[in-house]
Amino acid sequence: MKQERPKKFGMVIDLDKCTGCGACLVACMSENNVPFKPDESDKLTSITWMRVYQLNNGKPYPETDICYLPRPCQHCEGDHGHSPCVSVCPATATDYGMETGIVSQIYTRCFGCRYCMAACPYHARYFNWWDPVWPDGMEKYLNPSVSVRMRGVVEKCSFCYHRYQTAKDKAIYQFAEGERDSTDLEEDEYQTACTQACPAGAIIFGDLNNPSHRVHQIAQPDEKHAGRPKNPKAFRLLERLGTNPKVYYLSSRDWVRRAGDNYLEGEGKLKRH
Amino acid sequence: MDTALIPEGVKRDPLWKFVLKLGPVVAVLIWGVVAMLLCWIKGLNQTNMNDYYGFALWIWADLAVIALGGGAFFTGLLKYIIGKEELKNIINFAVLVGFICYSSALLILAIDIGQPLRGWFIFWHANVHSMLTEVAFCLSCYFGVLTIEYLPLILENRQLDRVPFIHNLSHNMHEIMAVFAATGAFLSFFHQGSLGGVAGVLFGRPFAFREGLFIWPWTFFLFTWSAAACGPCFTIMLLKITEKITGKKLVKDDVVRLLAKIAGWMLFTYIIAKIIDTWYWAAVTAPSKGFGLMEFYSNNGFYGIWILILEVVVGGVIPALILITAKGRSNPKTLTLAVVLAVIGVSVNRWAMVLQVMAVPVMSFDQWALYYPSWQEVATTLLPVAYGIILIALSHRYLPVWPQERELNPVEATAGPVSAEAAPGAESEEETSAEPEPAPAQA
Amino acid sequence: MKVGRRSFLSFIIGGAAGTALSPLPWKLTDDLSIWTQMWPWTPVPKDGAVSYAGSTCTLCPAGCGINVRMVDRRAVKIEGMEGHPINDGGICILGLSGLQLLYGPTRVKSPMKRAGNRGSGRWVSISWEEALEEVAGKLTEIRAQGRPEALAVFSGKRRGTVPALLSRFMTAFGSPNFVTAASTQDSYELALHRMQGVQAAAGLDLANTDFLLSFGSGILDGWGSPVRMFKAHSALKDGGGKLVQIEPRLSNTAAKADQWISIQPGTEAALAFGLAHVIILEKRYRTQFVSEYGGEFEEFRQMVMADYTPDKVAKITGIDPKTIVTLAREFSRSSAPLAVCGKGGGDTPGSMNEFFAVHALNALVGGINRPGGIWAVPEPGDFGWPDPEMDETAARGMQQDRLDGAGAPPYVATAALPNRFFEAVAGGKGYPLDALFVVESNPCFTEPDPETVKAAFSKIPFVVSFSSFMDETAQNADLILPNHVYLERYEDVPNPAGFNRPFVGLVQPVVDPQFNTRNVGDAVIALAQGVGDPVASAFGWDGYEACLEEAYPDQWDSLTSEGYWMAEDFDPAPWPEAFETASGKFEFVPEGLQRGYVPAEIAGEKGGFPLVLTPYDTMRISSGYVGNPPFMTKTVPAEVLKGKELLVELNPQTADQLGFSEGGRAVLTTPTGAANVRVHLYDGIMPGLVAMARGLGHTAYDKYLADKGTNVNRLIGPTADPVSGLNAAWGIRAKLTRA
Ligand SMILES: Nc1nc2c(c(=O)[nH]1)N[C@H]1C(S)=C(S)[C@@H](COP(=O)(O)OP(=O)(O)OC[C@H]3O[C@@H](n4cnc5c(=O)[nH]c(N)nc54)[C@H](O)[C@@H]3O)O[C@H]1N2
Ligand SMILES: Nc1nc2c(c(=O)[nH]1)N[C@H]1C(S)=C(S)[C@@H](COP(=O)(O)OP(=O)(O)OC[C@H]3O[C@@H](n4cnc5c(=O)[nH]c(N)nc54)[C@H](O)[C@@H]3O)O[C@H]1N2
Ligand code: SF4
Ligand code: SF4
Ligand code: SF4
Ligand code: SF4
Ligand code: SF4
Ligand SMILES: [Mo]
Repeated sequence: MKQERPKKFGMVIDLDKCTGCGACLVACMSENNVPFKPDESDKLTSITWMRVYQLNNGKPYPETDICYLPRPCQHCEGDHGHSPCVSVCPATATDYGMETGIVSQIYTRCFGCRYCMAACPYHARYFNWWDPVWPDGMEKYLNPSVSVRMRGVVEKCSFCYHRYQTAKDKAIYQFAEGERDSTDLEEDEYQTACTQACPAGAIIFGDLNNPSHRVHQIAQPDEKHAGRPKNPKAFRLLERLGTNPKVYYLSSRDWVRRAGDNYLEGEGKLKRH
Repeated sequence: MDTALIPEGVKRDPLWKFVLKLGPVVAVLIWGVVAMLLCWIKGLNQTNMNDYYGFALWIWADLAVIALGGGAFFTGLLKYIIGKEELKNIINFAVLVGFICYSSALLILAIDIGQPLRGWFIFWHANVHSMLTEVAFCLSCYFGVLTIEYLPLILENRQLDRVPFIHNLSHNMHEIMAVFAATGAFLSFFHQGSLGGVAGVLFGRPFAFREGLFIWPWTFFLFTWSAAACGPCFTIMLLKITEKITGKKLVKDDVVRLLAKIAGWMLFTYIIAKIIDTWYWAAVTAPSKGFGLMEFYSNNGFYGIWILILEVVVGGVIPALILITAKGRSNPKTLTLAVVLAVIGVSVNRWAMVLQVMAVPVMSFDQWALYYPSWQEVATTLLPVAYGIILIALSHRYLPVWPQERELNPVEATAGPVSAEAAPGAESEEETSAEPEPAPAQA
Repeated sequence: MKVGRRSFLSFIIGGAAGTALSPLPWKLTDDLSIWTQMWPWTPVPKDGAVSYAGSTCTLCPAGCGINVRMVDRRAVKIEGMEGHPINDGGICILGLSGLQLLYGPTRVKSPMKRAGNRGSGRWVSISWEEALEEVAGKLTEIRAQGRPEALAVFSGKRRGTVPALLSRFMTAFGSPNFVTAASTQDSYELALHRMQGVQAAAGLDLANTDFLLSFGSGILDGWGSPVRMFKAHSALKDGGGKLVQIEPRLSNTAAKADQWISIQPGTEAALAFGLAHVIILEKRYRTQFVSEYGGEFEEFRQMVMADYTPDKVAKITGIDPKTIVTLAREFSRSSAPLAVCGKGGGDTPGSMNEFFAVHALNALVGGINRPGGIWAVPEPGDFGWPDPEMDETAARGMQQDRLDGAGAPPYVATAALPNRFFEAVAGGKGYPLDALFVVESNPCFTEPDPETVKAAFSKIPFVVSFSSFMDETAQNADLILPNHVYLERYEDVPNPAGFNRPFVGLVQPVVDPQFNTRNVGDAVIALAQGVGDPVASAFGWDGYEACLEEAYPDQWDSLTSEGYWMAEDFDPAPWPEAFETASGKFEFVPEGLQRGYVPAEIAGEKGGFPLVLTPYDTMRISSGYVGNPPFMTKTVPAEVLKGKELLVELNPQTADQLGFSEGGRAVLTTPTGAANVRVHLYDGIMPGLVAMARGLGHTAYDKYLADKGTNVNRLIGPTADPVSGLNAAWGIRAKLTRA
């Protein structure tokens, strides 16, 4: 098979389209067997691999503006795979996949020290403070492609890695059967559950290294600057920290783009344009 | 009843009084054990930790206790490697305090992790890039070293020492203690440092992140340094407390002053380094990430700038200045004040490097998170304190911890309990025929 | 043997060393860690063959196509159906949570008969035979007494074969009291009826609109067909179109809109007339339409020119006159503008005055039955079933007045008046009811002022619920004949809300019924058989499935193969044929109506109630028949629900005046009721308003939903619209006092 460039799966989330409806949250919970408790109003102990933040421009009525920002794991690449969370995990229970760019999490390896949570500035990691419990009968809907997590371990968005595996398996099978020319996946063969569900079509997923994929075309990652977007509407969260995330955001609103990072007072306008 | 176990030539409370005094401490210990079992059986939902405060009271207690336990390695280094012989009079106690601190740290870690039964994965599946891996290895090894350092003291118990094998073993161990002290110093340098590294490498957390040398952020060196400075202060503080409780002078002033002087200069140089580090971080590192200094402190009273002042000025500059002046360390009041301030200073530093790191929001739209520990967390944190008190009390009672005690507190030959058990074999019907050893404390 | 100290020590040390060197501790350590990886109390989902089953979601009137991922016989995930005309792969948060309803703990697992007092929660399971026999016996008795009108049906739906069967049953039985829940769609239909003379649903040609002007409609908050609206909005963004949102609160729709214009609530009609004023003044209207098809246009022109100058409208609405002028220009200048109304999620029918004003605005720019405009979509006809035979009893019963007064003056054109129905029964107006069937609805929660509904229930001796869930209404019933959940049954979903083509979606069972439940369709047929002729003879089908298939003879193939049927090449009637009014024209001023803006009535004296409470809808809370599944409740922000306490939104300025700070506890009092709430300061709300999420405050269901927050319907009573008679309440006067 031909030598191909490693993949670098990533997302572009259009904040002009995102309505904060929460479908992506539930798509993710449903796909990935995320548990729930009778009271989930304490968001500091509520597991939501995808979380939707509400941003506001801080202005009084009627100049007020709000914007929703969905936050899956950013699958930070850091400097050559040195993501904030991966490098700190003492037990190698989370890893940077060089072939996919996906940051994995192995629940049966994790011993629950939570160092990775301390390391992640996006609060993308969640700890299982409780045993997961489903009301009688409801465990029927659990998805066998994703293991249920036990109490005491950390979990987070996996970019629905099991969907990648399923697609890849299918491609390999079809290739062996002579039904396709290669085992390369088409853009639509591997899509995450949140992308698929979003009723606004605000999430786009694909291979950032593949020029034919929409994520590449929209984000226009700048290889020379660790993937910083060339599209002036696009930004990444906390770009200045060097976490090198693979989730890009689009917004036509200045204040939203600015809210994506921290700036010193009087640090002028956005650096771009 | 237990007089046969008590070192010769010293006076101890009658057993009933001893037991009575320890009663409340044992109650706290039991309370802590109950909380510990709850955490193990029901899981960490027993705590008030959350996804923002993944590290909380316990990790702070761990870091603080290890810093404070730094007296052991540093005193050992001074005595065995640098050759400050006077310190032999306090080294036993320093080792004991170190042993308590490190065993406590390991116990707390075992409670703190979500899957205690898999705790060993940290060794088996070690990720060499993780500071925590380094911490785990060095900590465990150093705990082994401390055990070896503490063991001879146990073996020197009057009854055990009668066994010739044990006698010889402890004697020989003393002979090679310098090797362990050197190993301990080396290991300590790394684990104290890597504990500093735990926070310092978090490049996603501008409050914690520090630039540094090779793979080590400046906090790596600052932590080792501050432990070397404040650990001995903690040893002195506990010595003062022990003296107060027992109503006896146990170590001579010149010994204490020597240790205080060295700690003072360590603290003085440390605090200069810390100030430079803070300045560089506030002026260069944090702004490069878009943060102004006050953004780390502004939001609420709890994490106000006072915390930095308390750490650096009150808990650093002031005690350092007291301890480096002869006048300051020879006055018992200022000496005590200085060591207490130093202990507070280093504890506040570890507090900030754990809890404030968690509290400060990094995303511009995120929130400050506040946290207060649950009773289970408080109880499990007090558990080692109670355990430490008990271990010190037992060691004080049964082991020859204080080489200078007999000299400082001569006991009249007519005194009841001591003379009563002076007769060899009075209690012992056992086969051993070893003679009583006259000088248990030092070979 | 004497164990000496030395041998004892050697034994201990030797033993320890020996054990440590043996494999035992290591094996145990390893085993223990493996045990933690598969704790028996952590479920391991069973693997199996994966397949997909297509169907239609019925959890709201949108009619989205769904694909259910199956693992063997288990449904594990609901996804949107790709290529489906309504939702094209997208799916909403409620649709995604459907499996929690299917497998959830609040299902009614078999027919249940009340054992204790009503509402006491004591039930006994009975067989279907017993249950049907009991109901049929009761019905027979009612007919024997010659007062069949004493039976009423309250149905959550009005379209489709199930409501048709119910309605048919009522006709054959002899009762006019077939009452259906109402929504914005009813108001739209009435507007089309009065202004265009047609009996049709309002369809929005969103694909071709380039300027969407929303008078408070929650385009992105659950209005109409939510997923379709989301997609349309995104397409509008991609195509450079514009969305302008007019409402007093920065809703999610307002936040996404290109422009948010805050307005004094209840004055939307005045703004519509103000826009018409500018458009007419500047001659920006579609001359051809107005001159050839505009009925009563001159009268309309004079009215808006005289009374709705930008300055006058500004005084009423609180909107800057310049903004009004600019908006009118932008709206009329775009190639396919479309104005919509009906507040929030569209569950409240609203004020007809506003619908007429907004519809006139659409007509002014020529948007009737044109690309990008609003289309009259014919109601699906009857199903070709022969009229049921009525005996004398039935004929006499059918001649009785409906208890809700619908179809009779002054509400001749309204199909049903749910609000008036419960008021009449509770107030003892008209004749008494002996029995009530409640189907696919939960009026004890969803109707304004549920206390009135409960009072009505107390006047009816025999209440039968067909609910799949133990909801508030089922709790207050005497007998429950549980329906299958949508994933277990067949059903049709005709004309999804706001869709602009004749359309039917097919609901198909994807899993076997999980419990001892039955399709309502089958239950109704069985009841008809039980009552005997002539009712029975009107229900000659073997079962509901046969009846359904027979209802769509031409569409059945498409329904079963595609999952839906759509009139692909449907075009709305061209202007010359579009208007069936007396004049054959579009009536700018519907006959016999008060002209101009009629201030919408709102209950409560201003004196004692300085604030105005308005409910708001959000996608994350289901406020209809179906209660929030756990997944959805999990997504409700902490600014809306904290523990069991609900937070109401208040402008910081108002909060300051009243002395409230963030999270402060308060008692919210309206003329209808009072509730304990907490205050959330929100800059995006007009000072003087209190906004409250709709859909919380359930008392039924499970620990994941019950007793959380307050039901806003409890605080707002219905206000009858003078034209439709339907509920037009958009808010109520209120006060907040410190708790
Ligand atoms: N995060 C995470 N960690 C895991 C696991 C996980 O699933 N996720 N799985 C665990 C398991 S089961 C295993 S077995 C281990 C595997 O862990 P590793 O053994 O580290 O596995 P790889 O990363 O697949 O391969 C290691 C290196 O071998 C190189 N390599 C490939 N072919 C050759 C060759 O012919 N010669 C030489 N010299 N090098 C070669 C690859 O390029 C790669 O750099 O990981 C464990 N750790
Ligand atoms: N492409 C690719 N293929 C590989 C490799 C590779 O590097 N690349 N590596 C190979 C190697 S070295 C290995 S070891 C294999 C590993 O291959 P697998 O053994 O298939 O490993 P996983 O996919 O990690 O886990 C298998 C399943 O276990 C479930 N699971 C997780 N926890 C539990 C649990 O507690 N109980 C139960 N019952 N199930 C659980 C997971 O959800 C998952 O469905 O893959 C091999 N195949
Ligand atoms: S599903 Fe889409 S629109 Fe809804 S919150 Fe998620 S990203 Fe936003
Ligand atoms: S977002 Fe957090 S969890 Fe995800 S890769 Fe980055 S640091 Fe790790
Ligand atoms: S909590 Fe688990 S994944 Fe995170 S650092 Fe610790 S062992 Fe690694
Ligand atoms: S990519 Fe998958 S795992 Fe990540 S948030 Fe989306 S649905 Fe969840
Ligand atoms: S919009 Fe309505 S029909 Fe569509 S998925 Fe959601 S609940 Fe179901
Ligand atoms: Mo492996």
